[in-house]
Parts: sequence; C-alpha cells; structure tokens
Amino acid sequence: MECVVQGIIETQYVEALEILLQGLCGVNKERLRVHEICLKSGPNLGFVVSEVRLLCDLEQSEPTWTVKHVGGAMRGAGAEQISVLVRSMVESKASKNVLRLFYALGYKLDHELLRVGITFHFQRGAPITVTVSSVNKMLKLHATDEAVPVTPGIQLVEVTAPATSENYNEVVAAVSSFCEYLAPLLHLSKPGVSTGVVPTAAAAAASLMSDGGGTTL
Amino acid sequence: MSVVYCHIFRRLISYNPYRKKSTTMPLKRVFFWQPNAGSTVNSQILNEVSQCVESINGVKEGRWKATLTFYKPMLRDQALSAEFPREFIGISLPEQPNKYYFVLRFNKIVLESDSSIQLIMEKLQSYKSRVALNFEGFQYQLGDFQLRVGKVVPSHSENLRGIVMEVEYLPISSLEKSKQIMEEFFDIWQDAISKRSLPGRFIHIEPDFSDYGLADHYTSQHTAVQYTHVTSQLIASVQAVQTGRN
Repeated sequence: MECVVQGIIETQYVEALEILLQGLCGVNKERLRVHEICLKSGPNLGFVVSEVRLLCDLEQSEPTWTVKHVGGAMRGAGAEQISVLVRSMVESKASKNVLRLFYALGYKLDHELLRVGITFHFQRGAPITVTVSSVNKMLKLHATDEAVPVTPGIQLVEVTAPATSENYNEVVAAVSSFCEYLAPLLHLSKPGVSTGVVPTAAAAAASLMSDGGGTTL
Repeated sequence: MSVVYCHIFRRLISYNPYRKKSTTMPLKRVFFWQPNAGSTVNSQILNEVSQCVESINGVKEGRWKATLTFYKPMLRDQALSAEFPREFIGISLPEQPNKYYFVLRFNKIVLESDSSIQLIMEKLQSYKSRVALNFEGFQYQLGDFQLRVGKVVPSHSENLRGIVMEVEYLPISSLEKSKQIMEEFFDIWQDAISKRSLPGRFIHIEPDFSDYGLADHYTSQHTAVQYTHVTSQLIASVQAVQTGRN
C-alpha cells in the first residue's frame, strides 16, 4: 500500500523547489534516472487485463530492476474526503532477465517512459519520498539516450509514502502536512486530479533563490 | 572402502576450522534417485541413504526444505495454450528465505527476485499455482562438504515421488575449478552407497548453465535451474515406470 500525491511545476522553478526541499528534508538529493516499462497482458492471457511496471534504475553503475504492481485506490466516503490517494502497491527487486521473462509469459509493451530528475528520501512522521522529474518518451524502442520530454518546460512532482491498512491514516496526515510547506510553489493532489501551476510560484521561487531559502514562505 | 579411497576421502573431508571459507556462494550439485528398471522409490531407500551419510561421518545438522511450484496460464481460449510457456516454475530455497526464483525451462530464462514477486503474480491473476512439490529432509556436515538428503512430496500429500541429494562444497564458487573434487567425492559416495545394494542410484545431469546466461561463478540461480531440471527428470522417471506397468 502507498499514499500518493502529485503536482506539476515549471522547470524554471525546480531549482527553488530543490532549495526548499533541501531545507525541509534535511537530506541530500539523489539523482534519478529511471526507465519505466509498462507492460499489459496479451489478449488471451488472464480473465481480466493486468498491468505491471518494470523500473530500471539507470543511475546505478549496474542497472537494477524493480517489478511494481499498482493496484486499485481505496474507495468509499472516507477515501473521497482525504486529499491523498491511498492505493495498493507491491514492489519486488528482480534480476536483469525480468523483461525477457514477462515477454515470454505473454505480456506486451504498452508504453515506456524515462524519468530524469532528483529524489529526496526522509522521515517526517512517515518515510516520505519526493521525486521531481521530467517525464520523457522514447522515439525508438527502449532508446533511453534518445528520449524527449512529454511536456517540455514542465516537471512532475510526486510525494509517496508506504502505508499499511493499520497506519494509513497517520501516513496520510504526514504527507498532507508536508505538502502544505510546498503550497507556495506547487499544489499537490491525487493523481488524475489536475490542478495546474500555482500563481504564487514565481514570487516564492524568487524569494527562495534570493536568500537560499532563509526566508519563511 | 579401499585403502586408496580411504586416503582420498580423509583428504576430501579434512576440516580445517582456521581455513578461510569462501565469502561467496559455495557451489552445489543436485542429484536425484533413479530407481532400477522394475523398482520404485520408497521411504526405506531414503532411510538407507541417510544412514549411509551418517556412516561416512556426516553430522546431522537440521532440517531443510525447498518448494517448487508449477504455474499455469489463465487463458480465455485453451486452444491457444501453445502460445504460452510449457513450464513456468517458481522456486523457494532455504538458503535464500527472502528471495524467489522463476525458471522458464524451454525459454532458458531464470529470474531471481524478492519474495514479494509471488504477491505480484497473485494480483496479476494471469498465472496461477497449479501443483507444488516440497523437497525436504535433513542436512549433514561432512568436513568442507554439506549434504542434504530429501524426499520429494506434493505439498498436500505424503506420497513419496522421489529422493534428491544436494552435495555442496563450501570453499569454492567456481564450477570449473570444483569439478574434480566433486567427482572424487561422488566416487567415494558411490562406493559407500553401493554396499547397501539399493535398487537404484543417484544421478546428476548438469544443465548447460550458459544457456541461461549464468556464468562459472555459482549462484542460487544455478540451484534454481538445477531443481527445475531435476524435477523434469524425476517426472520423466515416474512416467517411465508407469508406462512400464501399463
């Protein structure tokens, strides 16, 4: 299970966001370069269509693979009232043959992306990960060296935290609380709920850049 | 055992506690029991094998268990089953409790993953567990060797389907470098077990690991491939006996 919110920010303000995140998280950023391969089951396989994501971390000296299954979101009146998406999610590290295996099992490529940016991992009421990245598409199959931004000038910000059925309320509260600090620069909401850029981003970014984040936003 | 063999055997199993053990994965060979024509595997043979290990000073250490699961595709049209892998196998090994292994024998693919991959497969609902076999028994320390002797039983049954034996040589991880010593050990073992006049013998047929992209340096992925091949050989052996009866 995980709690997730997303938002977008103009690339010109990413440096300011980095300064803010550095100050809030107290940890150094890590570079992010992940090839995300989204597979879907072939027409005859399974009684329902299934999807699985293979993530290849290209930032490591030796690429490492993770298999990720993202399931359905929590439903009900309680879920609708909270501003954070809570959904089923299972991950597993895997050896390099994983793409070959899933192709052999009858899975087909649905789409692939290259995410390039930075990430922060820290503890603030819950183990939280903030990712700021450009989402790029490949012009040729698996050609990560020839990727172009899907939305030039715009980057995706994602805040996630692992949760269980016992503690998701606390995790939701921790994520929501953290997101409030980012409000001057960007608005974060459930994936699929479009909010656009915030009007205060320019001023907030200028403030952060002028004194390195010393000013309280 | 002959005088020559006794000498070799003492050298093979001589245990120097101060010798630095390999910090990498020790290698192993997995054997399966091949009954003689007209005979079948039974628990008496398993007992004799265990006693034989103890008779050559194998020290019983504890239990072990590996599980092998056959997965089948969930298809809307069974007529198209030929488009999907004939054998999709999942394996859990006692030496890697947080890992799970998948092998596609005909595609020559082996995958190592976290155990959570099993949960992912359940959620995908594209493949489901059909049959599971347990390999379980006792393990023994014999100098620089570790032996595991085990029965092969379906997960919800006590019907003995086979007997396996693992011979692990702790100091070396190189398949090539260990060949001679493993063969010497097995010659000693054959000499000991033959005295019990059992209706069968242990066989090891080494898979071509390079077909799976595996190198000379031994890993648990090699073990997963060995168990896949041993299982297919065991099944073929059982089917041959049943054909003979019919």
